[in-house]
Amino acid sequence: MTESINEIRRSLFRGCSGLRALLVVALLVIPLASFSQDLTVKGRVTDSQTGEAMIGLNVVIKGTVRGVVTDMDGNYTVTNCPPDAVLVFSYVGYDPVEVPVQGRSVVDATITSSSSLLDEVVVIGYGTAARRDITGAVTSVKGKDLAKIPVTTASEAMTGKMAGVQVVTTEGSPDAEITIRVRGGGSITQDNSPLYIVDGSPVSNINDIPTSTIQSIDVLKDASSTAIYGARGANGVIIITTKGGTSGKVSVNYNAYYGFKKVADHLTNLSVEDYVKWQYEYALLSDQLDEYEKYFGMYQDIDLYDGQPSTNWYDQIFGHVGKTFNHDLNITGGSEKFRYAFTYAGLRSDEIMLDSRYTRDNLSLKMDHKASDKIGLGFSMRYSDTKIYGAGSVDQAGGTPTDSRVKQAMLYVPIPFTSIGEFDDTEFSSNMTNPMDNVRDNDRQQLRKRFNMTGNFTWDIVKGLQFRTEEALDYYTTNDDRFYGVTTYYVKNTPSAAYQNLPALESNENISNTLRSTNTLNYDFNQLFQGTGHSLKLLAGQEVIATKSNSVFNQVWGYPDFFTSDQAYKLTSQGFSNRYTDTYNPDNNLLSFFGRINYDYKGKYIVAATFRADGSSKFSAGNQWGYFPSVSVGWRISEENFMKGISSTVNNLKLRLAYGTSGNNNIPSGQISQIFISGSSSWINGFSSFWAPSKTMANPDLKWETTYTRNIGLDFGLFKNRLNGTVELYDNTTKDLLINFPVSGTGYDTQYRNMGETENKGLEIALNGVIVDKGNVRVNVGFNIGFNNNEIISLGTMQDFGVATGWASTEIGNDYWIAVGGSVGEMYGYQSDGRYEVSDFDYDAETETWNLKEGVADATAVIGTLRPGMLKLKDITGNDTISVADCSVIGNANPDNTGGFNIEAVVYGFDFSAQFNWSYGNDIYNANKIEYTTGRYQFRNMIDIMADGKRWTNLDPATGALVNDPATLETMNANTTMWSPYMSRHVFSDWAVEDGSFLRLNTLTLGYTLPSEIVKKIKIQNLRFYVSAYNVFIWTDYSGFDPEVSTRRNTALTPGLDYSAYPKSRQILYGLNLTF
Amino acid sequence: MNMKKILFILSLVFAGLLVSCEDFLDTPSQSTLDESLIFSDPTLAASAIDGIKVPIGETNSYRGRFLTHYGSNTDIEWNNSSTSAGARTDLAKYVNSPINTDMNTSNNAWAQMYSGIERANICIRGIRAFGNPAPGNEMGQLLGEALTLRAIFYADLLKAWGDVVARFEPISSETMYLPKSSREIIYKQIIADLEEAATLVAWPNETARTSTTEQINRAFVKAFRARLCLWAAGYSQYPDGIRRSTDPDLTVAKLYPVALQECNDVIASNSVKLETTFEALWRKNCEDLTVDPDPAGWESLWEIPFAQGRGRHLYTYGVKHRSVDQYTGQAQGGTYGPLPFVFYDFDVKDTRRDVTCVPYEYGTAVSGVAKQQFRSLNNWCFGKWRYEWMDRIVTSTNDDGVNKIYMRYAEVLLMAAEIENELNGPTAAAPYLKQIRQRAFAQADWPTKVDAYVNGLSSKEAMFNAIVKEQGYEFCGEMERKQALIRWNLLKTKMDEAKVKMTNLRDRTGEYSDVPADLYYKFVADEDGQLTKLSVYGLNRGETADMSGEYPFSVIGWVGPTKITDAQKDALYTNNPDQNQFWPIWQVFIDTSNGQLKNDYGY
Repeated sequence: MTESINEIRRSLFRGCSGLRALLVVALLVIPLASFSQDLTVKGRVTDSQTGEAMIGLNVVIKGTVRGVVTDMDGNYTVTNCPPDAVLVFSYVGYDPVEVPVQGRSVVDATITSSSSLLDEVVVIGYGTAARRDITGAVTSVKGKDLAKIPVTTASEAMTGKMAGVQVVTTEGSPDAEITIRVRGGGSITQDNSPLYIVDGSPVSNINDIPTSTIQSIDVLKDASSTAIYGARGANGVIIITTKGGTSGKVSVNYNAYYGFKKVADHLTNLSVEDYVKWQYEYALLSDQLDEYEKYFGMYQDIDLYDGQPSTNWYDQIFGHVGKTFNHDLNITGGSEKFRYAFTYAGLRSDEIMLDSRYTRDNLSLKMDHKASDKIGLGFSMRYSDTKIYGAGSVDQAGGTPTDSRVKQAMLYVPIPFTSIGEFDDTEFSSNMTNPMDNVRDNDRQQLRKRFNMTGNFTWDIVKGLQFRTEEALDYYTTNDDRFYGVTTYYVKNTPSAAYQNLPALESNENISNTLRSTNTLNYDFNQLFQGTGHSLKLLAGQEVIATKSNSVFNQVWGYPDFFTSDQAYKLTSQGFSNRYTDTYNPDNNLLSFFGRINYDYKGKYIVAATFRADGSSKFSAGNQWGYFPSVSVGWRISEENFMKGISSTVNNLKLRLAYGTSGNNNIPSGQISQIFISGSSSWINGFSSFWAPSKTMANPDLKWETTYTRNIGLDFGLFKNRLNGTVELYDNTTKDLLINFPVSGTGYDTQYRNMGETENKGLEIALNGVIVDKGNVRVNVGFNIGFNNNEIISLGTMQDFGVATGWASTEIGNDYWIAVGGSVGEMYGYQSDGRYEVSDFDYDAETETWNLKEGVADATAVIGTLRPGMLKLKDITGNDTISVADCSVIGNANPDNTGGFNIEAVVYGFDFSAQFNWSYGNDIYNANKIEYTTGRYQFRNMIDIMADGKRWTNLDPATGALVNDPATLETMNANTTMWSPYMSRHVFSDWAVEDGSFLRLNTLTLGYTLPSEIVKKIKIQNLRFYVSAYNVFIWTDYSGFDPEVSTRRNTALTPGLDYSAYPKSRQILYGLNLTF
Repeated sequence: MNMKKILFILSLVFAGLLVSCEDFLDTPSQSTLDESLIFSDPTLAASAIDGIKVPIGETNSYRGRFLTHYGSNTDIEWNNSSTSAGARTDLAKYVNSPINTDMNTSNNAWAQMYSGIERANICIRGIRAFGNPAPGNEMGQLLGEALTLRAIFYADLLKAWGDVVARFEPISSETMYLPKSSREIIYKQIIADLEEAATLVAWPNETARTSTTEQINRAFVKAFRARLCLWAAGYSQYPDGIRRSTDPDLTVAKLYPVALQECNDVIASNSVKLETTFEALWRKNCEDLTVDPDPAGWESLWEIPFAQGRGRHLYTYGVKHRSVDQYTGQAQGGTYGPLPFVFYDFDVKDTRRDVTCVPYEYGTAVSGVAKQQFRSLNNWCFGKWRYEWMDRIVTSTNDDGVNKIYMRYAEVLLMAAEIENELNGPTAAAPYLKQIRQRAFAQADWPTKVDAYVNGLSSKEAMFNAIVKEQGYEFCGEMERKQALIRWNLLKTKMDEAKVKMTNLRDRTGEYSDVPADLYYKFVADEDGQLTKLSVYGLNRGETADMSGEYPFSVIGWVGPTKITDAQKDALYTNNPDQNQFWPIWQVFIDTSNGQLKNDYGY
């Protein structure tokens, strides 16, 4: 009876869908349920491999909280079990098994040792391998871990999860560059980005891939793993595999969330009365009282400003509540022979900054067809469309940031003076504009589209021998429109005279088209070695990657003066197109041959060797080919007989050793011969275009940069893998570094060169543990930490050199130092010595001058004309004069260690996850702090570090006069601690170098999965609701906005500088996961 | 399909790949042209010559650094803010630091000049190899221009920095880093280059290309070569002190005759001439709408051809405007000015006086219209460049777009006078000096101001001193004085005299005892009929009457002891100018020179 009812019910479900199913459920299921009679079900559970009884194993009726535990013989008894119930058998280290009762009273089960760890499939490049057979350093994140905590990009998904993979979100903007460094990165000035491979194709970035489509992210860290990617693997390889179809019935998965975000941190400006007071003192010191009086009135009336409300420009610009909506739909299904997966994902985000928006749409389709026993075919396509609106907080990652939005918001006059908006002093107005105008006049839109199509063909020629070919097309276009409104420096100066002071547009379009053909032949000697314990696999392959690209630049000047950015983008005919160029870049071609041997004996002794030869068109004949061999060995100690005795404690122990080489050619094409380019100029009369050599000097001798890595790793699993982990030690040296070296003064700006050698040494530890595992209560903890030490071994023929970030234009000069024996990221500047006190001077009342006493170092050349209270710098050279010679290394942006830990818990239907990440021991160059506390320019506001009472003052508030009497000055400043903000330039001292260590609770998620017995009634397989919070708290001593920052990124030489970063936000979002 | 077929096809594919391998990895640059193509076509080659000039206009190059910073302070010119601290005033006061914040950037004029030199080197190599240059053909003209432009960059490098790196071939890995070479090597090369260039380029208006002052012509090349001969043979600072060159090829005896020949060639060619009046010369310079660019064949031999939106000459050297007004969209000018006594040193009849020295500026505009208002005695403006003389309203906030006259015919005459005096005595020099003064004075004044004055210079020394003076009157504000004083070894001597003159002027003693203390003025109509222009009594020596009846306004005590303080007078120079003739090589270039560059002269 019950069987037939169940049969009816099943067939009904099969036949119905949607609303009809709901109706059927409502009408039939509930009354029918009363016919079923509960059973008592017994059974025995054994290990599928050993046949031994499973003791203490959980047996739960699916969708309920009812369950029992097996006894000493593996037996269990469940009472009151519905005849249509499904029993779930689960045990740590084993894959859970579900068995439908189907009205039986005896249900035996076997359970298989978990494949999730040792048999976990790891993508290793042109193939996969089981985790147990891996001999190199590879870490992975699986899609199922990503699904629970939605993040926008794959990069974010990796934050804090992988030992030795440092992910830094450089600022808070939606398109913020996320720098990923695998083991520190070997190069000095070149891009240290790892190679990104998505479904076999190399791509330039991974921000356009929605995390919901990702099946796994595997990071190859050492050269024995990356050598198969030869040429381009020196900085690690990140392989992303997207989800494919599954055979079985159609599964529809829908995820959505809606979230809010708000700026995370504020700094406090001076109050209005303090601001005006400081302006007055500034005017006195700089002898510009007339300018002060013009805008603020007479000093006698200064009390009018007391208690005036100030305009919080920062809030006006960055204080918006951001709103994000994301949803994606995945449909998978298929038969034994044919499988497919389709995904749509859409993201809409309004950002916290005025006029800042982000949207992304993705479509993907993946199909596999097993045409015959021997032939398999596959096809996939991905399309992504990303739109970023708004110019962010600063224009350039390098150069002089004239129109920086954060600067304007922090330093603009806090009082709504109408006259202030119309400063007639050019010097001044070019430095400060109303922050709202500033944002609107510096607008930008970036449109990116990627289309990727891959087809593959697999042929099992004979048993064990497989040929596979893969042909892929990648088409990528980016469109970057930059609008310049009437307040910008650009329109005031760059256009030719007739078009000045009118809106302008610069539009860049890049089109790149990559074709890839990969052919591999795999042979598994399994047949030959059957029963001998030997296993040997061979891979031979060949790959061709050809990229064609061109860029279109359109410069439009002289739009009507009322034009907004949107009009300018769309109505380009309304301006004068000064320049339209379409530049075809030299093709970037790569031809490669590679092979791999995997050998193991009885699963105990594993050897892997790879070899790759790469030919790159970026180098001249003779230097084109690079050869990258590697070898690694593994010893699975736990398989040895002498370990058998403790196998219940140590179930996995593997020692790995690896040595390998990999290369890097990550420079622009066309560097080997000096080419003439057609330039354009509006500066010289009589012509608008001209021929001249490129400003980058050619170098015909360029060759591959090569990284040599040595890696020792230990993998272990204890207590049936309840605690497992990896410890790795590595030592990487990179030689013939490709460097874009500054050569100004020779006739060119820079030249690419091979020079020098760097070393990265480090230790990585990753641990995972199951703390609690009691049926419906599971708690997992993961932890990882990476220590990396970067050292510059040699700079070749070059001497140590400084690098100027230029955030303060030319005022600071070199503020990073590259030296043999040092590391990349050393900050270079003065050491602060507090301030000049009255006692450092003799006052000459006659000439009204302050003269330094004998033996007190004179910083006039750096600070400006000295008087008591001014910033004092340490005299390193001991010559009583402060000059650039007194600069030294005062900070290091490299952390001692970085890492993360996470806690995941499942309690009945609830899931909880907290992910922390940290960085420890790195310094931050707080350039914001310098700018916000330096009284370099008139009318600029400051922050409360320089509040009245804290800063040195020279002003007698009673009379409004400048105090020069030594005793009075000393008394007035008895309780002040800071120096006077007044100085002739911005100065970088160790005062602005701060400890950037932080611990961030990056995400916190609480979810609830509805019991399946309930949702099944409405034809839903799974339904989960969750709430997630991002950037929940940060624990740091850093005084600036956020310590995870790096805003001067034109070269890799200047990490860890905080200048005008787009503020980070806190976010909370509400979402659901739904599977039909 | 059987397996054999498939394998056959596969092996074909692989074989094909291997064969095409070589070509596949050799990807030529696109969107570019080969040197052999560019330099075998006159149109393309001319465009490459244009490329040489672009670095002049780059940020922190000639436009905003070299032309705006080099040349003051001298015995007649100074930075009007010399008392205040600042990167630019430091340089004016001979306070030389390699980390001068205005200059110590990787895109400074130093780098831009070498960028221009490299481009010129490539053009010279390319035209010689592929262009068949010859006198009279287009390629010959272009080669001559490239040689001359390279000489211009080198001349300015030598002027500002002394010994510099010599690069006369396109750079290669071997010549990437070079130490400074002696200035003598460079002088010899560029003097030789200009000799060749003179045979290649056409005289002004001889060809269409030489019909404007913005292209290189033979008159300029020859005049410029004469100038370089005088520099090379003159005094300058060496690490071991101030002296003339000891190189036998760079002596006065060798080079002065060469220079004289060049001057005489230019004069005899009749291809260029003095403008009819001094004011016309400068009005023409400021106007660029009606005639753009200025036609060759007049006084201007070659101009730095800034486009209308680039260049900072009025911005820096023009008469100051305090606000945007009826004449300008940028409130600039007046950064530099003549020393306070220069106006009074001029002969009252000298028409150059009122063109060169302007005591007023334009005040804050009321309803868009500004009036002239007096500045102070220590704060004059140069009057050669005036927004009010322009025939368009400048719109840029940073650039005025007026060409810089790089050299003009008056200098040829003055050089001829100087050389003739040196070689053949004052009588030989007299005709040239007379020509200069005839243009400066009304014909009615010629008997006294020209003939009697010049004929009175009977000794070689008297003539030389008169030429030194005349150079100041003629070129004040053109930033030529500093180099002239250096080559005469008179820099500090004359500047010390200037300090004494400032003291005497403010105290109205000695040669300035008849300078009036007070000014009386009224406003008169400008060309639009608005009462914006000053009419003054009290600027000319001897105008000491009380004119308050006739003039409603006055400046009582325009000249007086407080009008030039000791501090201001002392700010003419801080460090000894003779020990600081050259700028230091900026630190950024020292840092990237791989240890090859260093600063001499104790910087």
